[in-house]
Amino acid sequence: MARKLRVWVDHQTCVGNAMCETIAPKVFRLNDNRQSEAVDPAADTVEKILEAAESCPVSAIFVEDAETGERLFP
Amino acid sequence: MVTALQDDMFTPDVIADPYTYYGRLRDEDPVHWNETYALWVITRHDDLVWLTRHHELFSSAVFKNDPRPPYPAIDESDLGLYEYVRNYQGDQFIQHDRPEHLAARRVVHGYFTPKSMEAWRPFVQKAVKELLDAAEDKGRMDIMRDLATPLPVLVIAQMMGVPDKERHYVRELAEKLLYIGRGEHDRMKPLTEGMQGMIDYVSPLVDERIVNPGDDFISVLANGEKQGVFSRHEVLVNTSLLLLAGHETTINLICNGTLAFLQHPDQWALLKEDPAGRTRWATEECLRYDSPVKSIQRIATQDVEMRGKVLGKADRIRWFMSSANRDPDVFANPQRFDITRQPNPHVAFGSGTHHCLGATLARVEGQEIFKALAERFPNLQGDTTGLEYQPSITFRSLKSLPVTWQ
Repeated sequence: MARKLRVWVDHQTCVGNAMCETIAPKVFRLNDNRQSEAVDPAADTVEKILEAAESCPVSAIFVEDAETGERLFP
Repeated sequence: MVTALQDDMFTPDVIADPYTYYGRLRDEDPVHWNETYALWVITRHDDLVWLTRHHELFSSAVFKNDPRPPYPAIDESDLGLYEYVRNYQGDQFIQHDRPEHLAARRVVHGYFTPKSMEAWRPFVQKAVKELLDAAEDKGRMDIMRDLATPLPVLVIAQMMGVPDKERHYVRELAEKLLYIGRGEHDRMKPLTEGMQGMIDYVSPLVDERIVNPGDDFISVLANGEKQGVFSRHEVLVNTSLLLLAGHETTINLICNGTLAFLQHPDQWALLKEDPAGRTRWATEECLRYDSPVKSIQRIATQDVEMRGKVLGKADRIRWFMSSANRDPDVFANPQRFDITRQPNPHVAFGSGTHHCLGATLARVEGQEIFKALAERFPNLQGDTTGLEYQPSITFRSLKSLPVTWQ
């Protein structure tokens, strides 16, 4: 059973660089403001999601274990 | 009734104080057609953000897609040199659109993540300490010459594996490259000398890293050639681009930020109360208040309507972050330098897919400098009258900033 994640993007910080969407396009999608939304945290592996979060140039992506609440990034 | 807006962005008045001129445009005509240089001037924060996030409407391939002669006009005998400039600039990865830009950005992006750049903080701290040690006993220095220039040059040279003794030469070349945003009619000569000088300088470094890759940044670019993303000319041009971008803008952040503190003793006192705790937001406010880069250009890929006007296909669009960062619709008391301002959604690094690659590095360098200055030179003072700026519409660059602290 894969680990369930809670993933969200802080829209006060997100600049729409879109690297997350490039790395994990099923998980992150740009909205009408061209800011990223975590649309489906189950759509890719934990590794890919963490890679996307790390690649954010302004550290706007947050990742937690949905069950334990453990912060995985940042 | 408003008086006519004069349309020359290169006059000494506008260079010395861009905020009054662009602020007036923002209030009166935020999507402004500049007749003199045949370009649109965009000055509002929300317009700038919208524009930068619609990269498909506004091409970054400015040099490739703009057949018009440069502005302001150059000597007719230098038009051949301008072709050289177009080819050189056109091969920079920032002068590309998707999909090429994305492929190139993926080569370099991983090197500059916030986490990777944080790992450079101890190096930056040590470099700042050594520079301040060297200056301390003298009781005075030129912030520009003795601190703002050597620090980022040291850092980017270290990242690129440039030997110590050659750093001075790299800076000399970089100063010639800064003619890109200037207005002098004879600017093509120093500019192309700088460009060719950079190519000649980095060529053997790239040759070497292709054969013996290391963990330095030139190896990252050289690897882009191996992956088939970059041609050799692109590797050379991008190496020199990042050598320049890696320090020129940070120089401006350090100088303009230090000047803001000299002009606002109350904010300097606030920083001194808690340098380590306040330097982060203070650096953001320095980036907002007197941004290192004033403006960036794009070319419209199709007709785009904005505030009732039509930006026509192939029109030049120039957006001014130094005006957007003083937009009263976004910032309360925008003319006030307030180091506790939070949040601080300035656009000093742009936005969208072309958001500044080196933003975190610039932040780390700014944070460490302002913290160290407040800790070590609490009596910092300087004569802030009569300071001069480089006549550029791209960069907000002081020529010098003398200070004392005894």
